[in-house]
Amino acid sequence: MELSDANLQTLTEYLKKTLDPDPAIRRPAEKFLESVEGSQNYPLLLLTLLEKSQENVIKVCASVTFKNYIKRNWRIVGILVEDEPNKICESDRIAIKANIVPLMLSSPEQIQKQLSDAISIIGREDFPQKWPDLLTEMVNRFQSGDFHVINGVLRTAHSLFKRYRHEFKSNELWTEIKLVLDAFALPLTNLFKATIELCSTHANDASALKVLFSSLILIAKLFYSLNFQDLPEFFEDNMETWMTNFHSLLTLDNKLLQTDDEEEAGLLELLKSQICDNAALYAQKYDEEFQPYLPRFVTAIWNLLVTTGQEVKYDLLVSNAIQFLASVCERPHYKHLFEDQNTLTSICEKVIVPNMEFRAADEEAFEDNSEEYIRRDLEGSDIDTRRRAACDLVRGLCKFFEGPVTGIFSGYVNSMLQEYAKNPSVNWKHKDAAIYLVTSLASKAQTQKHGITQANELVNLTEFFVNHIQPDLKSATVNEFPVLKADGIKYIMIFRNQVPKEQLLLSIPLLINHLQAESIVVHTYAAHALERLFTMRGTNNTTLITAAEMAPFVEVLLTNLFKALTLPGSSENEYIMKAIMRSFSLLQESIIPYIPSVITQLTQKLLAVSKNPSKPHFNHYMFESICLSIRITCKANPEAVGSFEEALFLVFTEILQNDVQEFIPYVFQVMSLLLEMHKNEIPSSYMALFPHLLQPVLWERTGNIPPLVRLLQAYLERGASTIASAAADKIPGLLGVFQKLIASKANDHQGFYLLNSIIEHMPPESVDQYRKQIFILLFQRLQNSKTTKFIKSFLVFINLYCIRYGALALQEIFDSIQPKMFGMVLEKIIIPEIQKVSGQVEKKICAVGITKILTECPPMMDTEYTKLWIPLLQALIGLFELPEDDTIPDEEHFIDIEDTPGYQTAFSQLAFAGKKEHDPVGQMVNNPRIHLAQSLHKLSTACPGRVLSMLSTSLNAEALQYLQGYLQAASVSLL
Amino acid sequence: KHRQHMRKFKNKGKDAAALRMQRVEVSIELRKAKKDEQILKRRNISLDVKEGSLSPGQDRPDEVIQLSLEEIAEAVNGNNPKLQLLATRVARRLLSKQKDPPINQIIELGIIPRMVEFLSGADNAALQFEAAWALTNIASGTSEHTRAVVEGGAIPALISLLSSPHMHISEQSVWALGNIAGDGPVYRDALINCDAIPSLLALVSPVTPVGFLRNITWTLSNLCRNKNPYPPLDAVEKILPVLVCLIQHEDKDIIIDSCWAVSYLTDGSNDRIQLVVDTGVLPRLVELMASTHLMVMTPALRAIGNVVTGTDQQTQAAIDAGVLAVLPRLLRHTKPTIQKEAAWTLSNIAAGPCQQIQQLITCGLLPPLVELLDKGDFKAQKEGVWVVANFTTGGTVDQVVELVRSGVLKPLLNLLSAKDSKTILIILDTLSNLFVAAEKLGETEKLCLLVEELDGLEKIEDLQNHENNMVYRAALNIIEKYFSGEENSDLEPQTGQDGLYDFSVEKQDFNF
Repeated sequence: MELSDANLQTLTEYLKKTLDPDPAIRRPAEKFLESVEGSQNYPLLLLTLLEKSQENVIKVCASVTFKNYIKRNWRIVGILVEDEPNKICESDRIAIKANIVPLMLSSPEQIQKQLSDAISIIGREDFPQKWPDLLTEMVNRFQSGDFHVINGVLRTAHSLFKRYRHEFKSNELWTEIKLVLDAFALPLTNLFKATIELCSTHANDASALKVLFSSLILIAKLFYSLNFQDLPEFFEDNMETWMTNFHSLLTLDNKLLQTDDEEEAGLLELLKSQICDNAALYAQKYDEEFQPYLPRFVTAIWNLLVTTGQEVKYDLLVSNAIQFLASVCERPHYKHLFEDQNTLTSICEKVIVPNMEFRAADEEAFEDNSEEYIRRDLEGSDIDTRRRAACDLVRGLCKFFEGPVTGIFSGYVNSMLQEYAKNPSVNWKHKDAAIYLVTSLASKAQTQKHGITQANELVNLTEFFVNHIQPDLKSATVNEFPVLKADGIKYIMIFRNQVPKEQLLLSIPLLINHLQAESIVVHTYAAHALERLFTMRGTNNTTLITAAEMAPFVEVLLTNLFKALTLPGSSENEYIMKAIMRSFSLLQESIIPYIPSVITQLTQKLLAVSKNPSKPHFNHYMFESICLSIRITCKANPEAVGSFEEALFLVFTEILQNDVQEFIPYVFQVMSLLLEMHKNEIPSSYMALFPHLLQPVLWERTGNIPPLVRLLQAYLERGASTIASAAADKIPGLLGVFQKLIASKANDHQGFYLLNSIIEHMPPESVDQYRKQIFILLFQRLQNSKTTKFIKSFLVFINLYCIRYGALALQEIFDSIQPKMFGMVLEKIIIPEIQKVSGQVEKKICAVGITKILTECPPMMDTEYTKLWIPLLQALIGLFELPEDDTIPDEEHFIDIEDTPGYQTAFSQLAFAGKKEHDPVGQMVNNPRIHLAQSLHKLSTACPGRVLSMLSTSLNAEALQYLQGYLQAASVSLL
Repeated sequence: KHRQHMRKFKNKGKDAAALRMQRVEVSIELRKAKKDEQILKRRNISLDVKEGSLSPGQDRPDEVIQLSLEEIAEAVNGNNPKLQLLATRVARRLLSKQKDPPINQIIELGIIPRMVEFLSGADNAALQFEAAWALTNIASGTSEHTRAVVEGGAIPALISLLSSPHMHISEQSVWALGNIAGDGPVYRDALINCDAIPSLLALVSPVTPVGFLRNITWTLSNLCRNKNPYPPLDAVEKILPVLVCLIQHEDKDIIIDSCWAVSYLTDGSNDRIQLVVDTGVLPRLVELMASTHLMVMTPALRAIGNVVTGTDQQTQAAIDAGVLAVLPRLLRHTKPTIQKEAAWTLSNIAAGPCQQIQQLITCGLLPPLVELLDKGDFKAQKEGVWVVANFTTGGTVDQVVELVRSGVLKPLLNLLSAKDSKTILIILDTLSNLFVAAEKLGETEKLCLLVEELDGLEKIEDLQNHENNMVYRAALNIIEKYFSGEENSDLEPQTGQDGLYDFSVEKQDFNF
């Protein structure tokens, strides 16, 4: 393409078409441009257009097209390959680099930004080696005095240098930085000084100031990038200049730069924020060198805080600034900066207290955006808020000055409470601040699970509770001063481990009462507080608050909880639902009288939310509550399972038919629970569903796998013979599911669960034809991708198989797959790996299975496998004598739903749908050690002398000693 | 021109070899050279220094005579011994000014060769002395200045003066030679080749005055100093026995300089470290590491830090000398550079075999390490992260469990917000190591929870947005590996005609 007017014209037309809303016009134009972008001069045509076109829209369009072209094509990837040729010829590259900087600088801002981006893309590849004069060219512009040009240079420099903030240290990188520093640091410093001087000469010229401050912001950002990797010699030598000026900028104010906007941060705020970042960078990384300046910054920053208003636009600046102070005051060597009583008082009074005040914006959030308010206040997603920052500062100060700070604040708390007492309806915010202050002062460590775990001993929490919190909650009007009500409830919640139990018991009816409050925050907090109180532990691992103590309140509690779900804004309130679940779990059989009404309300809720599930936690606790209702009721009256099925199946069917993905895993779990409640043969309603459960689409969703496996296991337990007789054609499909699961490292254990149930429950003849296939599949997985988890499950399975079908059958099927296979598995897998098996039941299965191999498998006695007999026995004794795994105590009530194991986004295991551990050898073998002794005895009777001679020649002494112990315990001896 | 901080790192060809190799420091420095922590390469003798032997020449005020530079040149080049002495003394005095001594002007007078001549005038001890002093001060300037002295032929003359019967003259030439040796490896080796070492060592005796001994020690330390190349091995072998005696001395300055000398000698390949280990000096170094004087502690720590970059046996020698008992205090030292060097030393011990890691645990290094990670200086925290990284690479599962129990996870995860991409990456690699250990114990889920509880998961998820590609990928990798699942596609069943999974597999030969 020549640089001709005709080509410029053509290009203009095509560019114009790329802006057309009609794809039929736009797409071909885009295609055309792409097809010519490999031509020589194409980028130069674009540059000409963006400079000279008569139409502004074309200029902008050309600049964007140019930037994208550079982005796609500038980089030459390694050695050139056929399909990725170098589309930009060398002469174009040279021409672009020669022209782009002046062009960028003379362009209007909109185009300047595009070109600046393009420069940084080019720079990333070519700078510094292939673009040696870029820096000089940029630096020379600093002298131009034209701040439009200067800002262009600064912006470009920023986009070139900002990668220093995240790249690894390397010779190449540091060589570049050194080069940049040599050429750039001094001019930048001079520019910085000059700009600051200009700011004072133009102190009365608003538009000039805006440009100058934009420069200062960019300069401050460049400072951050250039100082990020390490403290450069130049900046260490010139720290005085930079820090002195940064310091004075922090203290600078100019009416002309103040903005009217309450929300959006202005130039002044942005600059000061960046300076706080720069100071924080130095304080974190170059503490030793920065130490002389740090005190000044501390002072400046707290003065800044003292003089900064309450508007939202200052929030980031204020919280940055407070966090800076908080991080500094915790360090031992800066302790002295804060220890003066006057300093402490002034920080407390002027920095902390004002930023803890309840602002108009908070009030707005409390009323209109309560979800966000709760999230911030309760769940700590308040990292950038002023209150949080102020709270962190209190904690930081308390590290060294707990006594003095507590003393200072006690005075404030008292005076604020007095203000409140004078005129509550006007001064209620004072009390709010007082409570917040006490809370932040008293709490030293906090977890979601336990509330405050470490408190400031200088604060009398119970006294404050009795004198200032309880009275508010006792007030007859639940809707008065909602903020204070929420504060009070929150106080109970977080200090629940500090306030004595009798006070907590007194609070329970008050909390139940506040479930009726109209304010979403108040009734949510009440529900949450109850839920937390119900999970507190007393002695002996029981709940602190017992069902008996709750007896007088059961009805009102349940009523108010369900009523709270009907309050506006709380129809899917997860805190309330969680409180319902926790109440059921605590109250147990005392809820039975209310179950008919409860289950109706829950199923209605379920139906309603299944239209559009949006609150995962709410839904989860709802299903947990359903499970609890079923368990508690059926424990007392197993027949009741039918009425639950009646109530639930209609909704469940709808959920399955509409494929409500979020709910399906839950439905399977509830169905498993119900099915397991049945004592007799599987009901036909379940059988009708069976083929649908094998549909691949269900198994493709990872979240479905654990509950579906569990459900299929329940089917096999209750209905194996029905499946064998009525659904034999579905057995391959069932095994297909097993195969699907076994193929996955994540899900293979689920495949084994299923397989174990099949082997345990299905009539042998129904799976006979598939048995060999099953083993081949397992061996294949073992060979190709062995993991510890797989081996553990595999060992349990083959031993279960051995128990079910006999040791000889196991040996025969192995050897029918490949000669000597049985020996190989014994030698390479069972003997070396058996100790990895964990879990009581799993170990027992393996012990019994191996005992069978040792004593009921003739080839072990008279073939080449005999040499494995002693090693196998030794491995078995090892399995016995390993320390037992810690069993999990039966305290599911305390399980925090978020903390249940099995981190998987899609699957949420219902704690209360849990099933009891199944022990397939429970009845057969009680004590596996004695069982071994007895079996050996039997074997030795069958072939006298053989066993004893093997033992005495090869078994190691320690194992032999253990074995003699077993024989003694079983009162048998070997012949 | 400051000494490049020793950055080589043990590499035993373990999995983490690549990780450790990266510890070789970039040779480009952005920082200002720090001089406060080590001795000066060159020393000028100024008139203000009046204490003891530091100013062996006595100037009485009435002797002070002014001469112009031209007059000095004339007199020095003349034949009048009296004037020669007078002019040399005036020149020496000018050179001894504390501020801006006129070294260049004196060199430009071209009188250095003449002064070198004066050195050999055994009959005029006063002139020998003044000339040696003047040359000492010229050599104390820049490399350029030192070169002028060397090119004036001073080296052999100064070396012969070492055996001068006048102690103050011999001491003066020790000083001058020290300045020349301090310039760099070339002149250092020039001195060694002129056989300076035996004459220097001969000066060390039980009756040598302390002040003199200080000078000798310092000059010896400069003969041990500098790399590229290192001083010849046979020279090192000659110096070492004397150095080992000097380091036992009770004078602080002698200790300091001999410590620095040992630290230079250990800053090299393992065979050089071995020479030092063989002298049995390690227990003394460890003792000095525990000194309350920063000036003593610093080079002793540096030397031991260098030793543990060596082989497992060399590291074991340092452990046997008791380094692990001293390190906790140093990890808690108020001075950031000490914290950092101590952590660096520990990181190399943690890179050793699991027996050494066990000793690290037994000696109670984990609590101070956790403290350092929690609130140490940033430079030290970075080294602390390396300790943990190496520990988790070479430690046994039990040891890693012990590490986690010590509370390392919280500060480690906090440092994921550090302003340094490399540190973040190493922490992510360390987390992967921890997960591998957890997998072996079947405790993966527990670790997942712990990481989540300590706000680590949130931070790792955030790092998936990190601008640095490797950081981003490492974070993504952890999330994918430990916070989701994976498939074994070759065993995946097909879907059959009935819409259900087909159950089928092709048999292959098995061999486990």
